[in-house]
Amino acid sequence: MRVLIQLRPSPDLVAAVADPSVPSMTSDVADGLPGVVLDHSYAPVAVPRPMPASPGGDPLSLNQPLVFSMAPQDASVVVRGEIADDEVTSRVALLSAARRDVVAVYADPAIETTLTCGGDPAVGDWHDVERLLRVPDLTAEGLDGSGVRLAVVDTGINAAYVKATRGHDVTVDHERSWNPEGVSGTPGDFPVDHGTMCAFDALIAAPKASLLDVPVLLSRRQGGSTLDGLLSDAIAAYAHLRDVLDAQPAESRALVVTNSWGSFSPRWDFPPGHPGNYSDNPAHPFNLIVGSLAEAGADILFAAGNCGTQCRDGRCAYPDRPIVGANSHPSALSIGGIDTAGTRVGYSSQGPGRLAARKPDVCAYTHFAGSGALGDGEPDSGTSAACPVAAGLVAAVRSRWPSTVLPPSQLRTLLRRTADDRSAVGYDHDYGYGVVDAAGIIAALRRRAAKAA
Amino acid sequence: MAKVLVTVRLAAPATLEGAMRRLGLTEDEVDTGYGLVPVDPGRNLYVLRVTEEAGRRVGDSDAGAADGGPYSDPPIEPYGPPR
Repeated sequence: MRVLIQLRPSPDLVAAVADPSVPSMTSDVADGLPGVVLDHSYAPVAVPRPMPASPGGDPLSLNQPLVFSMAPQDASVVVRGEIADDEVTSRVALLSAARRDVVAVYADPAIETTLTCGGDPAVGDWHDVERLLRVPDLTAEGLDGSGVRLAVVDTGINAAYVKATRGHDVTVDHERSWNPEGVSGTPGDFPVDHGTMCAFDALIAAPKASLLDVPVLLSRRQGGSTLDGLLSDAIAAYAHLRDVLDAQPAESRALVVTNSWGSFSPRWDFPPGHPGNYSDNPAHPFNLIVGSLAEAGADILFAAGNCGTQCRDGRCAYPDRPIVGANSHPSALSIGGIDTAGTRVGYSSQGPGRLAARKPDVCAYTHFAGSGALGDGEPDSGTSAACPVAAGLVAAVRSRWPSTVLPPSQLRTLLRRTADDRSAVGYDHDYGYGVVDAAGIIAALRRRAAKAA
Repeated sequence: MAKVLVTVRLAAPATLEGAMRRLGLTEDEVDTGYGLVPVDPGRNLYVLRVTEEAGRRVGDSDAGAADGGPYSDPPIEPYGPPR
């Protein structure tokens, strides 16, 4: 979290900071604040002290006349820094206790107004995503998704549409695809919709992956509507995927599961603390099966959700901590969204997560002109697009690195460690560990291969 | 909440009928189309979808025969496009 720290150093220092002819630096007034990474590019600023214009007035009132004193004994100095998101409360308390010159610590929120929101036009296109993911470099390393099964757990895939839009063949593994009970339809032949977008986006980095079509969001089980399903359908889907994984030979075991969906509202859930709750409860059967499938060797990715504070989806009904349930599972990667200009989209959900606090894990690209599956001229958007983009990158890695050689937990660590960090203190709740970085991944895999040789 | 989930531990070969017998459930109380779904084969853990009333009966009390539950079965929706 970016913060402003108000200090009251010696009057001499305050006078120097207030004097425009004297260059002053953050280190002059605020070196060694424990737990704060100071921003030395930000010159300290002298701030006047508000004082009531008449005796007995309130110095902090906005409704009374005030005068402002820049006298060195009255004024203070503000510097900028960053505190780790998960240490803010303790660090702020410690700061005031450890340093008598610290007057207060304030939030320094982003004031940019140009974050991409739902309804905004596309930022770049899928070829930009291809370039940013360094797909030619991945391909040169043999990392193209060959031999990897990539399950798209969504609304179904229309393979002919994906093929026509991409201009390349698309492989759908009919034998290992799966429909929930009551859903008819042939794998790869569902109406063009959200799942088709996900398939298209997953193939950007892993064009040779074999898609498993798992349309759980088409379930018409009681309680379902046109494009939703029930969590029980996802449990059944994951049980099927476990069979798929267990049938793979150990030497080529590779199953990537992309999930661009979640639960928007606590309305249908038991409350947190109830033993039957889903959102906060690692013992819920779906959270158990996610952990079990990951432990068996699958790479599982979930969209972080579209409940970011700057322009949240109108369906978001959790009052806080909107990354819930398996979308915040410690054994899955939770994927936030950035546009192709490298800025977080305003709707990308921020952490902390409910099952694991450090969510999202990383960000990937979204809101670009891609499949067009959501409508003519509509961008591939939401963390719904970011998740399969990242899943494609994971599938590309799996072409040469089966899960028996590089277990899912290690691959998750690799993605976090190589991510392009967007803050000064490592992890933050907007970008997670940063933006997925294919060049960093390639370099890390080369080092690993050299060490193993 | 029309239906809920309960978990049960069963030795192989596990069947829906065996689970219903263990939990004392009737066909009217169980989503037989959903069946008996393995959650964690290593722990012999399975899940069923049942009526809320049946879920409370077999899962909630100490005397309940289920391993766990009743658990929620909330709707899930696509995360895009943002509305």
